This record gives sequence, structure tokens and C-alpha cells, in this order.
Amino acid sequence: MTTVRPGEAPPAGRGDSERPVRPNRLAAWRRSDRISVFGPPVALVLLIVGFSILNPQFRTMGNFRSILDTAAVLAVVAVGLTFVLMLGAIDLSVEGIMAASALSFALLIANNRNEIDLGFFAVVLAVGIGAVFGGANGFLSTRLRIPSFMTTLGVSAIGIGVATVLFGGVQPTIRSAGVTAWATGDIVGLTPLTFVALGVILLGVGLERYTRFGRYARVVGGAEDLALLSGIPVRRYKTLVFAFAGAIYGLAGVMVTIKLGSGIVAVGSGLNFAAITAAVIGGTLLSGGRGGVLHSIVGVLIVSVLANGLVLIGVDSNFQTAVQGFVVVAAVAITNWPLRRRLRVVK
Amino acid sequence: MTTVHPPGMKPTEAITTIDLRRTTGIRAQVLRFMPIGVLALLIISVSVANPNFLRPNSLLTALDSSTPLLVLAVGAMLVILCGSIDLSVAALASMCSVLVALWVPALGGWAIPAAALAGAIAGCVQGLVHVIAQIPSFIVTLGGLAVWSGIGLIVSGASTIGVTGSELEWAFMRLGPARIPSAALIALAVVGVFALVLWATPLKRWYEAIGNAEPAAAIAGVPVSALKIGAFTASGLCAGLAGGLLVARTYSGAPNLADSLLLPVVAAIVVGGTAITGGYGGVGRTLIGVLIITVLRVGLSVAGVNPSYEQIVYGSLVILAVSLTIDRSKFAFVK
Amino acid sequence: MTVQEMIAEPPMLEIVDLRKRYSETVALDGISFEVRRHEVVGLIGENGAGKSTLLKSLIGLVQPDSGEIRLHGSKVKLRSISQAGAAGIGMVFQEQSLIPNITVAENILLGSEGSGVRGGFYRWKELARRAQVQLDKIGCDIDPRAITETLSFADRQLVEIAKVLAIEERSNGEPVVLLDEPTSVLDADEIELLFAQIERLRKHASVVFVSHRLDEVLRISDRVYVLRNGQTVGEYDPATTDATELHRMMIGRDAQGSHYHEDRQLPVAEAPVRLRVTGATLKGVCQAVSFEVRKGEVLGLAGVQGSGREELCRALFGAMALTSGEIAVDDKVVNFSSPRPAIREGFGFVPAERRTEGMVATMSVAENITLPHIASVSRGPFLDRRAEATVVKHWVEALRVKTPTTSAPLASLSGGNQQKAVLARWMVSGDLRVLILDHPTRGLDVGAKSEVYRLIRDLSDQGIATVLMADSLEETIAMSHRIIVMKDGEVAAEMACDPGAKPSPVDVLEAMI
Repeated sequence: MTTVRPGEAPPAGRGDSERPVRPNRLAAWRRSDRISVFGPPVALVLLIVGFSILNPQFRTMGNFRSILDTAAVLAVVAVGLTFVLMLGAIDLSVEGIMAASALSFALLIANNRNEIDLGFFAVVLAVGIGAVFGGANGFLSTRLRIPSFMTTLGVSAIGIGVATVLFGGVQPTIRSAGVTAWATGDIVGLTPLTFVALGVILLGVGLERYTRFGRYARVVGGAEDLALLSGIPVRRYKTLVFAFAGAIYGLAGVMVTIKLGSGIVAVGSGLNFAAITAAVIGGTLLSGGRGGVLHSIVGVLIVSVLANGLVLIGVDSNFQTAVQGFVVVAAVAITNWPLRRRLRVVK
Repeated sequence: MTTVHPPGMKPTEAITTIDLRRTTGIRAQVLRFMPIGVLALLIISVSVANPNFLRPNSLLTALDSSTPLLVLAVGAMLVILCGSIDLSVAALASMCSVLVALWVPALGGWAIPAAALAGAIAGCVQGLVHVIAQIPSFIVTLGGLAVWSGIGLIVSGASTIGVTGSELEWAFMRLGPARIPSAALIALAVVGVFALVLWATPLKRWYEAIGNAEPAAAIAGVPVSALKIGAFTASGLCAGLAGGLLVARTYSGAPNLADSLLLPVVAAIVVGGTAITGGYGGVGRTLIGVLIITVLRVGLSVAGVNPSYEQIVYGSLVILAVSLTIDRSKFAFVK
Repeated sequence: MTVQEMIAEPPMLEIVDLRKRYSETVALDGISFEVRRHEVVGLIGENGAGKSTLLKSLIGLVQPDSGEIRLHGSKVKLRSISQAGAAGIGMVFQEQSLIPNITVAENILLGSEGSGVRGGFYRWKELARRAQVQLDKIGCDIDPRAITETLSFADRQLVEIAKVLAIEERSNGEPVVLLDEPTSVLDADEIELLFAQIERLRKHASVVFVSHRLDEVLRISDRVYVLRNGQTVGEYDPATTDATELHRMMIGRDAQGSHYHEDRQLPVAEAPVRLRVTGATLKGVCQAVSFEVRKGEVLGLAGVQGSGREELCRALFGAMALTSGEIAVDDKVVNFSSPRPAIREGFGFVPAERRTEGMVATMSVAENITLPHIASVSRGPFLDRRAEATVVKHWVEALRVKTPTTSAPLASLSGGNQQKAVLARWMVSGDLRVLILDHPTRGLDVGAKSEVYRLIRDLSDQGIATVLMADSLEETIAMSHRIIVMKDGEVAAEMACDPGAKPSPVDVLEAMI
């Protein structure tokens, strides 16, 4: 510390002082990035090994196939949800959209309630209905600027309501054996629906890596303010993402309906939360711009292996939801820990 | 409205303006009186369609049916006032209903206060996680929702637990010649205590400051962390109490008993005029919101509308009300 | 091109009489200048001179009320950054404007990928090739496929420049590149690198270099314009001027003593020490800072962005965590975990961002004033509204806060009155000991500023120790008893500031940078 009197020349040059402060919003991410890339696959392997040791029934081919078949629907939902999470938004409308499209599908395919049988077109329509609901999500949150958790909650209720009305007190049952065969058939030991899920995953990965739709979703989640400054039509892409997700949930609704053989309102029960858990565990952060379809699928496998393994070793299946809830909060807390600051505003 | 500014450029004082339309001007007045107006309109419409509605007994019955919703909404409102959200209130009420049903044999009528305490502890845990780990409230309470649901399922063995005997009668009976529902008295007492405490102490303005401008509130010495934890605790307490009230009237506790109440609770709070962004609202507004939802439900059944449409109505109502009351200047970017 | 041809060619960028007024303040009051091809034009001015509003106008974020912007001779209206880009103006931002989680190539071509994206599908090879064209212009070896956040800060700065150069492909001809305080967060080596880049940049573009670092501006620019109070007050040739002359133009008339009530500055050398800061360290921000403030003294804290002074002041108030160090008030050591205990110990803080941190905008004047010291107007846990009304009335009158009623929302008052109300809140308890002021006169008109200065003198008379961070050097020098200059997180200089023997702004400035 030098005292300078007015008129005197102060010491010249900058000297070997401390490195100046960098406005760098990125430093905190690096550590958690490494965890998010390597952590989940390692955790998955550990889980598989662990359960294999604890219960020999776990490590049979039949059980693995069963895990994959069960995981198929969750995987499909997770693909759609991943894109929404990539934006930095959240989607609580999975169950409502699945319900609406499930009931629509059940009433448009050969069923016991009416004479309509649109075959494959019923699937297309059901997916389309999902897309409409999703588009509504996007439109409402971008135009009316309502936070996505609120819009999707409302849209979900509307979806459940529509499904309840369509249900009309008499459960629509599928009458076409060809359709239900999709859930019971056997291709290399897996059901055809599992391959549908695989197809959706590949579609998701392709979109995410090679299309503007996928890349811009990542951009918006990474830094929405900067995306706007760069002239990207953020609102349009957000709406597209929500619509796409809605279409995917619609497909998931169709898949479950085929599995159950009938349309019920509770078709998506528990899936919303399981998908969020899967995505977060896999490394697709709720804050946006991170992770991706493959990350979320690893998470889906972890959740499915966990569910299957716990049941095999005799744990009450009711534990599942509680454990999932705890895990999501813990996962977010861990990735968030380095960002904590005094007087930081978190709502 | 907030404006976008390039990275590195601080907004100069003059560029951004505050959305004052919330507190002054015609729009603000409309917002302030719209809920009462809507309520009045609804009561009139329903009475016109069914004059029996205005008879004391039917009014009291309607009030009675709304008490669990009212208790839930008042607690959740406090959380929303700070700008946060508690998505777990319904699941917590369900879990507490199971606890009440299980504890009645041992604690008698005290099972309800005990469950309220359990709810308060659960809410406190959520508040602590939110504040200490600095995780957004919707994530914490979304996870909480799953945890309380799961606990309810495990403890009840995924089945309904019946309650026999009259230990809980005090929470679901009619008093005096006027046949006033005891539940309504309990609920109104809770509401009254909330309102009084909020008004007479600095709490209301502290919560509004946090909801309106949290950084400014913190710098002005408002005990932000403690207040947020307190709000979640209060919300949990109310959830527990609501669960107890539900058991009293259904004579059973079940792990999904109150699950369907989440959307009506949010709808009631928002429709009553409390902004989802926080900083604006109160007990009175929530009471009106609950009454609107209740009369609406009566009205829908009077009009012969299929109860299946209820969800559609709530969903649309929530979206509509939020879009009207939300303070957009809060978000430059809505996620 | 011959000299005659070069002179006859219209300038790349021409600003004619640009004006912009916000509700209370005039940001641009008739700015005119021009930038010729392959020229580097320096733009200097103090905070509040209009630099940032000017840049925002040029980049399309702000629409001027009147005046013209001409590119290549034709008038343009810029309504967004992409429009500005299409017209040929790009800006390298002070803080990084790159999206961290995508590749370098995507960032460079964001929003205008051209042939890199066909039918919505990304052609990665083509994208990388197009990005490489821009990177070659500045001759760096960054891999266009690298994820942006994995690069070093300096490399990201280069990508920012490449991104701006990409404008050339979009518009007709060479871009005008705006550099906004590019050196404020670079160290000596990186500044040299940047200057080399600017020399290379010059071959492909015309550059506007905005900075308050006079020596750097003089070094790199072909011509220099000085901005003051929203006007261009001078155009200089670096070869024929120096920092002192430029600085004199920047601050204009000599500081008027009466405006700052300088006659009220009383000597405090004999007064007991009220605030003692020893070895204050904030990780990554400042190191072992020590100073003292006596009763009734105003300590001016000077420094540029990155000096650590703002963070240090927040840490004094408990709004940020000190890594190590000791703070003592009236010889009592204190440790604040949040603003609340600080307020109890008699601290007050007026933040720079009045709207978001200084006041709760939608709450009433009365509620805002009593917020920090609510205990003074409460009986136990209960609010005493009558006492509150009395206290508020007293302070509103004492400070001459102009408001129709005390229940009007604070946001409805003028900036000056808002600030006075914010100051009033710290006086409510009557036991204020240390006041920290962060840019207290920002955005206020001349009359309001003078009133705030008067208030600061009043508080000084009452023995309150004040730490002042002012917008302008002029203000710092006029108001302070002593000045401490912080640079790169350390105390670089300490100067006495007695009335009649005030240091010159250039001296302080040199110590700051």
C-alpha cells in the first residue's frame, strides 16, 4: 500500500498483482460435468453387479428381457421429456397427455364401445392429439409467459378431464388381436413394442445431434438470454419442443393401452415422476442445456434395474416412489452444491 | 417490463421500468375486485338456477365441504406469497390421513393435532432442503410429493384404514340450533389466526417483500431463510390438519385420499387473486378463491354437468387465472 | 485505392445527432461521429456519459428517439441484434456472449448457419469449414468442433471476435466491429494478444474501441472521440494529445465546490477509528485488504470493474462471505453471516441497483422506510402502525422526500426521492454507525445529486463513518476525506483528500489502472 500525494507520479505499470476477476459463468460446471458423464453408467453397472450377487434370479436372460420390456414405455416418455428438460423447462403433463391419447386410441381402434377401427391411423391420431396438447403447453408458456410447471400442470388436468369424459364410465377394451400382439409378440425374446421404444430412442438421438430442432433446444437451455440476442426464434422452438414431447407421450399412451388391452385414465400413473427421476439420475439436468437422450436412457435403465432388483430381493414395491423422490432431490442437491452463494435468490 | 441487456452491460437506472399497473391504475383495481365480483356472479347464477341453494342448510353444507380445501389453501398460499410453490400439500395431507387413522386407537381425538405436527415437521424438512441446498421449491416439493406418497403407501400397506368410534366426531358434526359445521369453525379459526398474525406482525410485509423483491428484502434485513422455512412448515401443518378433517368425514384414512386436491388448491389460490409469482395476495383472497371453487363445483352439478368435466374446468381455470395475475416483469425469461 | 478515392468514399459508419431520453434522464444528447474503412476509432467517457446507450443503439437493442445511423452511406434502422448483424455491425461483448454448452463452430455461426444447415439438418463438416474461415481471419488454431466451455478465457475472447467477423458473410462487405471495454478483465499478456488481434481485425473491418483506459485508447486508435453527458465533446488525434487533456474533456468543468458542499467537509484526523478492516480476503476477488474509517469520515473507494471494491463492500455488510479477515466497529470485532446482524450493529447499505436491490418497488414508501428497523416501530412482535406513521412522517419531512402520501408505492416516486427514502431507512433507528454507499447518485438529476451530497455531509456531521463508491472520479474526490484505490483485488494507493488540496483525477486514474 503506497501513499501518494497529489501531484506525485504514482508507480507505473500493473505489477505482479493478483489475476483479475473473470466474469465466467462456466467454472462451476466443469466438475459436475465429469460426474454427469461417467457417474450414471458406472452406477448402472454397479447396480447390475450388486443385484446379480444378491439374487441369482436377477441375472437370467429372461429377467433382463423382462426389464427391457418394462422399461420400454418409460424410455419413450423419457425421450420426450429430455427435450423439454434440455430447454430448462419442466413437463408435468405426461400423465394427462398419455390419458387423453390412450382413451382416444382405445376408441378409434377396434373396440367394444363403438364400430370405429382406423387401424394404424388411430395411432397417428392419438399421437397427433398428444402433439396438440403439447403444442398448447408450449403456446401457453411462451405467449402468456406462465412458468412451465404451472402450464403443464393445468394442461395435464385438462388431459385427464378429457380422458375421463371419453372413458364415460365404460372401459373401452381393444378387440383386435393383431393390435395386442404388439405387446405379446416375441422378436429375439423382446416384444415388438420394445423395438418401437428403440426406434424412438434412435429418433431422439438423431434429432438431438443432427437437427436444428435439437441443437437449438440445447442452446436455449444453455443460455436463453444469449439465444434471444443471437436472433434465434426462441418461442417457436420452445413450442415445437413441447409439441414434440406431447406427441411422444401420446405414443407412450398408445403403447400402454396396447399392453393393457384397454384404455384407462390412470394409464400414465407414476410415469411423470419416474421419467424425471430417470432423466436427472442419467445426467440431464433440470436446469437445462445438459445431458441428452442417451443420458436419460441410462437413467431409465438405472430406475428399471432398481425397481426390478428391489422387488426380487423382497423390498416393498411401495418404497419405489419414496426412493425416487429422495433420489431426485439428492441428485439435484449434489449437482447444485458448488453453486450455492449467500443471498442467492432461489424460488 | 424487464429488458434484455448484453452481457457485461449493467442496466442503467432509467432503462427498465417497474410494472406499476399491479398496484395502481384501472387494471389493479379490476384485479383487486374481480374475485369478489366473480364470486357474487357465481352465487347469483347458481341461486337463479336452483333457489334452494340460498337456504341456510345448503350454504352451510357447501361451506362444510370446502373446509379441507380451505385449510390446505391457506397454508400453501403462504408459500406462494414468497414466490415459491408447494406441490406436495395434497400428498402430505393423504399421508397424514393415514397417520390419523392409525393413531386414533392410541391417541383418540388427539390424533389430528398429532398428524398436524407430523405435517409441520415434513414441511419444515422441505423448507430446510430448499433453503440450505438452494434448490428450487418445485423440485423439492415434487420430490417431497413422492416421498410422502410413498410413506403413506408403506405405512398403510397400500390400503384404506377404517376409523370406528366417535373420537373424531368433533371434527365433523353440527353444532347448535343453527347446525353450524364444526369443521367450518375449525377452518375459520385457522384462517382467522393466520390473518391476524399476518396483519398484526411484520410477517405479511416481510413475505410480500420476499415475493416482490427478494434481493432487496435480504439487504433490508428481512430474515428470508427463516421466513421461507416457516412458510413451508405452516403449509405442512395445514396439510396435516386437512388430512385429519378428511378422515373425520370419510371415517377412513387412505394413501391417496387427498391427492386430487392439489389442482383445486392451486386453482383456489390463484383464482382468489394471489399471484403465482408471489408478493401479492393474502388470506382473504384465498378464502374468496376457495368459495369460488366451491360454488363453482355446486354450480356445475346443478347445471347437470358431468363431474368428469371437473378436471378440465380446474385446469383451464388455473391457466386463465395465472395468466391474468402473473407479474411478467419478474421474468425476463420464463422457463 | 488512392488517397483521393479513400477520402471520397463514404464512411463505414456515421452517427448523426443521435438522441435518446428516458423518463428522467437524457442518455444521448446529440452524438455525432464517423468511422472510416479500416480505421480504429476510440470512444471514451465516464460512466453515465452515454457509452453504453450508444453501443446499445448501434447494436439494435435500443431505438434512439431521433438522429441517424448510416452504414456505407445509407440510413439504417436497427431493431434487433440480428438486424444489426445483417446491416453489418457486430459487437464483442464485455462479458462473454457465447453459449457455453455448444461447439465453437455453432457459436460463431449461431443464427446464420447458412450452408452449414440444410433443411434443418446439421452438416457438421460444412459448419466447421465455414467457422474455420472466420477463425483464419484472426489466425488462431482453435478447433471449431471443441465445446466452447472447455476453452480458456482468452481463447473464448478470440471466438467472440471470430463470431463478429462472421457478419461479413451476412452483410454486404466488411463489418463494423464494436469492442466494449475489451481489456477490463484481461491481464497484461492477454492485452498484448488482443491488440495484435485488433491490428489483424483492422484489415477486415472497421473498429470502434470503447474504453475508459486512456492509455490503451491512445495507443490503438487512429482517432479518439470524447463523450460527456451524452454528447460528443471533442475529436482528437492520438499523436497530438495526451491522457490529461482527454481526461479534462471527459469531466468537463472543474468540480464545483458548492455542488458537493465541499465547505462542509470537516477534518477528522483526530476522531476515533470507527471501522477497521484488517486483512479482508474474498477468494478470487480481493486479497488482504486493510483500511480504517474514522468517525465522521467519508472514505472514497475507487477502482475499475474487477478491482474487487463492490464485492468487498457487500462483504462488509454481510451480503457476501469473507474468506478471511477481521472487521471491527468501534473496537468491537464483528462477524456478519447475513445483512441482518450487520443492520443490528448499526450498518447501512445503499446498493447500486436501486430498483432490484435497493428498494421493494411495489411496497409503500412507509413500509420501505421502516423495513430494516422494524423493531423501532413495533411493540414486541406486533407492529405499531401509529408509531410507524409518526416516524415515517418525520423522516419524509426531514429529508424532503416528495411523495403524495406515504402509502404510495415507492416506485411511483422520482429517482431522487426514491434514493432519499432508501437513505432514510438507515436513519430510522437512530444508531447508524457505518454507511456503505454503492453508486448512490446513479441515475439522479443534478438537483437530486446535490441533495444526496448534502445528506452525506449531514451524516458525516453526526459521526457516521461512510464508505463511498461513486460513479465518477470527480464525485469521489470532492466528497471524500481520503481515497483508497483498489486494483486487482488489492489496495493500490491511499490518498489524502483535504479540501483545498484535492488530488487531481488523473493521478487517481493512473493508480486505478
